[in-house]
Amino acid sequence: MTERTLDGHVSISDLEKVYDDGAERTTAIKDLSFDIEGGEFATIVGPSGCGKSTLLYLVAGFLDETSGSIEVDGDPIDGPGTDRGVVFQDYALFPWRTVMENVTYGLEEQGYNKEERRSRAQKYIDMMDLSGFENNYPKELSGGMKQRVGLARTLAYDPKILLMDEPFGALDQPLRESLQDQLIDIWGDLDKTVVFVTHDVEEAVYLSDSVMVMTRHPGTKKNVTKVDLDRSQTREEIITSNEFTETKNDVWKSLREETQPEVQP
Amino acid sequence: MSNVSVRSVDAVPAPLLRAGKFLFDWIPLVILTVLWEYASGTAVPAEILPPPTRVVGEIQELIVSGEVYSHLFTSLFRIGVGLGLSIAVGVLLGIGMARLDPVEDFFEVLLALTYPIPKTALVPLAILWLGVGTETAVLIVFLACLLPIVLNAYNAAENVDKNLVWAAKMMGTDGRQLFRKVVIPATIPEILTGVRQAIPIAFIALVSAELIASDEGIGYLILTAGQVGNYPTMFANIVIISAVAFFAVRGYELLRERVLVWT
Repeated sequence: MTERTLDGHVSISDLEKVYDDGAERTTAIKDLSFDIEGGEFATIVGPSGCGKSTLLYLVAGFLDETSGSIEVDGDPIDGPGTDRGVVFQDYALFPWRTVMENVTYGLEEQGYNKEERRSRAQKYIDMMDLSGFENNYPKELSGGMKQRVGLARTLAYDPKILLMDEPFGALDQPLRESLQDQLIDIWGDLDKTVVFVTHDVEEAVYLSDSVMVMTRHPGTKKNVTKVDLDRSQTREEIITSNEFTETKNDVWKSLREETQPEVQP
Repeated sequence: MSNVSVRSVDAVPAPLLRAGKFLFDWIPLVILTVLWEYASGTAVPAEILPPPTRVVGEIQELIVSGEVYSHLFTSLFRIGVGLGLSIAVGVLLGIGMARLDPVEDFFEVLLALTYPIPKTALVPLAILWLGVGTETAVLIVFLACLLPIVLNAYNAAENVDKNLVWAAKMMGTDGRQLFRKVVIPATIPEILTGVRQAIPIAFIALVSAELIASDEGIGYLILTAGQVGNYPTMFANIVIISAVAFFAVRGYELLRERVLVWT
């Protein structure tokens, strides 16, 4: 997959993020360098508090790096931009807007007229199986539906890069799995780079081209595992395959060392 | 057996249950009125505690003669202007304080110091500046309502979900648009709660101000009736303004529910 030369190449070098609240300086991320190819599905796993969400929000431009650089297709990022779209863990839907109005938000900002907005949004609403709920408010939806709205909202304005912060973390297993499969299908169709943060190793390996394990505090790159799965196979075939199990075990062991630092020599 | 009783409650049709709850809600008021009717002329002389039946007759007379309307209109006008001003200023100030540090630093001490002052204590001063009449009453209502509205708007704007702001920014919203498209709608529920708190305060402040100094209004009617010992008229006006305040709050709540269908 990574041979394709698509837009949405993310290049991170010598990234450092220090939180300074005046009284205390906390280094969240240190000496972090890595590249994500355009069109790649890259997952970041790490122990909680390792700065993986911080990393995602730095790439999103919500936070400013202390030093180092983040470039998208060769240009350093300058704050949030519509080339990158975040899918939030807690959905972050606008509660005062209906499903349709949430999905059209980004298109509104890009100046599409009302008709274009509606027809484009409808495409993603249908893709996410939300037809019939266009005029519902977020409070009327289940968690899984809210996250599908979140995904539709971000896809609708067509960012090159999807930044996903444990998007399925709050959902139960069957729902997670069906959303994971939907995401893979969409990613296969839309040629987008995905940076996906999770703490679930199986999810990481199942979804990705590459899995980066981050060290515990301060967070930096520990290793990157390339994943080569046959996407034409069913979930069951993939999950029970030897490659999947071996890759999953490798990542799990590597992550395990970080979550249990006291047993390290 | 216990199951049977549960089922029998379930079997009561919903409209009947609602009617039952309505009656239950009003029982304390009914009891108070009955006790009042009984006490008047027995425990307390009827001259200083006229019975509810007498007061109701007086209300009827005030309404039929039309005497009360111009005063009620004056009072409601003063409340409307005072409350309206406090909403306009309070929302701007509250949101401004939450979003801009200099605004917060500038007003924080002033607001903290003026908060505990009973606003009606300023009536004599206000009379000196503005004279007896509508301006003074409006000023007192405005000051009394301002703080609950400022505080609610401030809290709401301080606590706008950061992720909503980020979500809007990633889709290309910034600057004043961010204010209009995210901060304002996100704070509306709490602003409307502030207004809900301010409505009864407005009535309290207004009647208090009119009791101290005024030439018209319901407070003026209460005061003059009391001064000449016309207690039935005094009570009648108290009941009228209480009822108006009650319906103002109820009406407002219905309106708020319709505005906030999304909460």
